[in-house]
Amino acid sequence: MPPFQGQRVALVAILSLTLMWLDHQYTWLDPVRYGLGYVVAPAQQTAVLPLAVTEWLGENTALRRQLIRENKILSVRNLVLERKAQRMASLEAENLSLRELLSASDQVDDRVLVTSVTAVDPDPYTQQIIIDKGGRDGVFVGQPVLDAHGLLGQVIDVTPFSSRVLMIADSNHAVPVQVNRNGVRAIATGTGALNELELIYVPNTADIKVGDMLVSSGLGKRYPQGYPVATVSSIENVPGESFAAVKAEPTAKLDRSRYLLLVFTDEAARVPPENLWGSAE
Amino acid sequence: MTLQSAVYILIMLFLAFVLEHIPVPDMLSWFTPSWVMLVITAMVMFAPAAFGLWIAVPLGLMLDVEHGSLLGLHVLLVGLHVFLLQLLYRRMYLFNVLQQAAVLFLMIMAEQILHYWAVAVMQEGAPPVPLLAPALTTAFLWPWIYVIGYRSLQRLERA
Repeated sequence: MPPFQGQRVALVAILSLTLMWLDHQYTWLDPVRYGLGYVVAPAQQTAVLPLAVTEWLGENTALRRQLIRENKILSVRNLVLERKAQRMASLEAENLSLRELLSASDQVDDRVLVTSVTAVDPDPYTQQIIIDKGGRDGVFVGQPVLDAHGLLGQVIDVTPFSSRVLMIADSNHAVPVQVNRNGVRAIATGTGALNELELIYVPNTADIKVGDMLVSSGLGKRYPQGYPVATVSSIENVPGESFAAVKAEPTAKLDRSRYLLLVFTDEAARVPPENLWGSAE
Repeated sequence: MTLQSAVYILIMLFLAFVLEHIPVPDMLSWFTPSWVMLVITAMVMFAPAAFGLWIAVPLGLMLDVEHGSLLGLHVLLVGLHVFLLQLLYRRMYLFNVLQQAAVLFLMIMAEQILHYWAVAVMQEGAPPVPLLAPALTTAFLWPWIYVIGYRSLQRLERA
């Protein structure tokens, strides 16, 4: 053992605790983390290589018959969706003009980026996934992530080629929601189980029924308004408790979706101006 | 240390980081061993002159980025691991492989407890840390790593 090893270990321990504290309290170390992402990226890419290879093989060895059938199904679905989109265009225009009448200028449609899931965090206590788009594609911390069925979560950590997404089912996560039917507001927190969210602080008398669709209310200024989050699965009024125990099932397929959408909204990227008073002029 | 063994160690470390990132099914996620810790153990045991406390900084930071934990957490854990190994490695040479695995089990357990304390102090509302299962699997894998490392060391020295 080298001389003064005990003191050196103490020094390393103090150094690392300081680093942890700095990383937790301030954002100065974010560039360091981002740069280290380049170092770890080759190993991460190699780890998901088998997945990419099997996918490539599957695509390239598919039978012609299968492809034709799939193509037919997809073009039929496309037709149905096109029809919906035609109505959507007129509805959007109508919505816009109504909003103009109310002098509220909200954007109805958001810009999106398609990404695919490359890994699931192995830590059993958190519900996080890793996606294949990173800082080089313009992904930012706090960006909302959707799948084809609803809200999935938000980006919490960005490296150059990949990002980490915290899912709405994580027990440290909460989304402000409202009931689609009547606009009753609530907060949906994760429970740690992928198929269950909990609505907290719902009064016993609130008008919520089993089967109600919950959509994001946009009040947290993090998620855009109006995306489906969950459907209410059970309501229990516990005598003596001031709040009802409401459980809901996420509409997004948290454990199955491979392709996700990253949403670029003005809301999420908006940073408060440096001079708050100057903008009032 | 020869160039050959340096390249060998770099390859082992790379593989360890690949294994650390590989997705595992839900059931197995409780038992994910710390692959990088295994390779670090082998490095410090077989080349104690070359690999000292300094490896804690680069490898610890890389592990932090890999796991998305607070920067510095794994620096602390790897530092402690290296220090304990430096205290014990001469004695561990005399042990048989199973006794070595038992020592490694206790070390990883102690580090998981330190991990839990550090996170609990630094981060409010932090998720709990699995204590027993990763230590068990890491200790279980040690005999294989030891044999591979020992054999390749012999081969490198003969060459």
